[in-house]
Amino acid sequence: MSLSGSYHYLAVVLLMVTGLYVVMVNTNLIKKVLGLNIFQTSVFVFYISLGRLEGGTAPILADELSRYANPLPHVLILTAIVVGVATTALALSLVVQIHRAHGTMEEDDIDDREGGATIS
Amino acid sequence: MIPALVDHLPALQVVTPLLCAPLCVLVRPGRAAHAIASFGAIASLAIAARLLAEVLDHGVLSYALGGWAAPWGIEYRIDGLGAFTLVIVTTVAAVVFPLSRASVEAEVEPARRHLFYAALMLSLAGMAGIAVTGDLFNLFVFLEIASLAAYVLVAFGRGGPAKLAALRYLVAGTVGATFVLIGIGLLYAATGSLNMADVSARLPQVQQSTALKSAFAFLVIGIAIKMALFPLHAWLPNAYARAPSVVGAFLAGSSTKVAVYALIRVVFGVFGADYAFARLSVDWVLLPCAAAGVIAGGVVALFQSDVKRMFAWSSVAQVAYMVLGAALASAAGLSAALVHMMNHALMKAAIFLALGGIVYRTGAVSIDALAGIGRRMPLTLAGLVVASLGLVGVPFTAGFVSKWTLLRAALQGDAWLLATVIVAGSLLTLLYTGRIVEAACLRSPPPGSVSTGTAEAPPGVLAALWLLAGASVFLGLDTSLTVGVAERVAGALLESAAGRWR
Amino acid sequence: MSTWHLINAGLLGFMVAVAIAVAALRNLFAAVMLFAIYSLSAATLFVALDAVDVAFTEAAVGAGISSILMLATLAATDGREKQHRHRRALPLVLCLALAVVLFAGLHDLAPVGDPAAPAHVHVAPRYLSETATEVGVPNVVTAVLASYRGYDTLGEAVVIFTAGLGVTALLGGHFRRRRSGKNGDV
Repeated sequence: MSLSGSYHYLAVVLLMVTGLYVVMVNTNLIKKVLGLNIFQTSVFVFYISLGRLEGGTAPILADELSRYANPLPHVLILTAIVVGVATTALALSLVVQIHRAHGTMEEDDIDDREGGATIS
Repeated sequence: MIPALVDHLPALQVVTPLLCAPLCVLVRPGRAAHAIASFGAIASLAIAARLLAEVLDHGVLSYALGGWAAPWGIEYRIDGLGAFTLVIVTTVAAVVFPLSRASVEAEVEPARRHLFYAALMLSLAGMAGIAVTGDLFNLFVFLEIASLAAYVLVAFGRGGPAKLAALRYLVAGTVGATFVLIGIGLLYAATGSLNMADVSARLPQVQQSTALKSAFAFLVIGIAIKMALFPLHAWLPNAYARAPSVVGAFLAGSSTKVAVYALIRVVFGVFGADYAFARLSVDWVLLPCAAAGVIAGGVVALFQSDVKRMFAWSSVAQVAYMVLGAALASAAGLSAALVHMMNHALMKAAIFLALGGIVYRTGAVSIDALAGIGRRMPLTLAGLVVASLGLVGVPFTAGFVSKWTLLRAALQGDAWLLATVIVAGSLLTLLYTGRIVEAACLRSPPPGSVSTGTAEAPPGVLAALWLLAGASVFLGLDTSLTVGVAERVAGALLESAAGRWR
Repeated sequence: MSTWHLINAGLLGFMVAVAIAVAALRNLFAAVMLFAIYSLSAATLFVALDAVDVAFTEAAVGAGISSILMLATLAATDGREKQHRHRRALPLVLCLALAVVLFAGLHDLAPVGDPAAPAHVHVAPRYLSETATEVGVPNVVTAVLASYRGYDTLGEAVVIFTAGLGVTALLGGHFRRRRSGKNGDV
């Protein structure tokens, strides 16, 4: 029972760690954004697993059905997915501008002190 | 105000700036957008002041959005803590937005100014939402609105370095927000509810649960990233230093305060002091981080050559002071944290405005560029020094009040080491303020500089700077506004939490 | 029932494998394509977990829009990640510590699908039992989204507006300047 009950959660943990590790370790900015997306998706899987009800169906009311999955986590994740893609879009346009200004997307290639706060 | 409108103040607090944002985009010319943003900020301050008065007189305000009762619908719930935070945020906005047009015009391209003001409004709306909402997931949504707007605002800074700072802020902020989302999910799984008051009431039934501890850890770490608590502060210095000066003034004054609010709300409001401190001993993590932040922030600030970065690092130290106060978990410590939230907001906004004024005239804010500024911009520099002395905690400034209450709270708890850290942090602040004064007054201007007469910051910026610096001195002399309110708020927070776990 | 578990475990295992491959790949184009596959597997998993609305959104937004945005970014920049030297020890320790904290918390929850879990017994039943009379939409997810928690949805719209504003501010000016020469400076 314990195994059949928690393999979803084990996968959530593995996905979270993979995503977070990419965010922390990779210096390529697009790779970082990819890692961020993997990390966020792991949380979506967590919430949707919470909503599952044994023997239930999708929460669309019908006369012949009486057992439904919990709709609340679904609602929350619909919002979270949209927040995630909005963040991704903003991040990617920043990446494009950084590439334009520095000619690279590798964080460690960009000399941090160059430019500083002076206005060019 | 019309009575019917008063009932809707909690919603108006968020909706007012929220509606101003698309208006700013639609009107296009920078000046019209500026007028709308100014109106939005001042109206927000009026609403916040009225809410604080209501809450202090009549207790907690609850507002059911869409008419659905909590916990099924989303509840806006405003108590003293929320209203106090709202007043801090909206005060900074109401002083900075209307008066700093010249600084924006110097640092943001004409074609993008209306978008800039819209982003300021969205950021204000997000922060207001964080402070009014009584629903955990709604808190996440507003946290993301405020954060996305803040990333955009930082990216308005010139050139590649500002974009990189914005992206790093975005990555750190998104990791923080996702941690918060994990924490909320675990809390929901353990209690079945998203409403803060409802979750809080149901927690004692599941107090043994490991899920609860895990939820607590993720929420605290997530919020700590958002507030740049040492050692999770790496995103902050460049973000604030490379953003336009007005953004520095607004975000340094408000954004970290809202994150401190969220921490206090979650730790004291949702979990309760007994669970967080007696059961989980979170002070054993928070106090060392805060103490290290005070010292590290101060030491690094001392060695910066870019003055904006210097004060951005100083923010790392000052946020740590607030966490230190809150983590003492006593009424004295909590009210010291609240007082410092207010005082630091005013002082740091004043400092960044002064730096904006200097950028306006000289185009740079390195220590070397400050040479001789004392003669050319005496009033601007004086405002900067008054605000910095407030940061140090010199008597007769607001900073003295917060440092003194913090010190007393530490000594009450016999925390001598923390008291030493508090004093050492102040000395570090004095040292880097001294570096600025030395450069500005004692060094002669660089030989290349042409202008010799006085050329102050633009009048509006100067007025805003002195309004904030004056408020800092006023709050240093009359403590009833800050300490008086903060003590009531702190008392109410600890009282509502007491006894729930027995 | 066991088919259901088999499908779920298979999809989850596949997702973990794809995620690790995305992390390891140096060719960014391939990594983005794999990420699209990762999102599609997540969408399939959501169908198996009875979350059809979420599955649809994840397929359209996660696998569709996100991947297209990433490909467009790649087209405007570089396609390959550089070989670089970086510190791996500290991030690994931090990630493992977080994994332990998260797994301890998740392991403590009721098993997936357990009808007695707090998530199923407190707030949610009201949505399922009252939506038909209170809102009158058969899809309960839509009802909660649009009515009970309508303000989250408003917030979601504001998030999109904010991001759109940011993208316009960042990229709009560039294209305008490209068309009409240099006139963006003060």
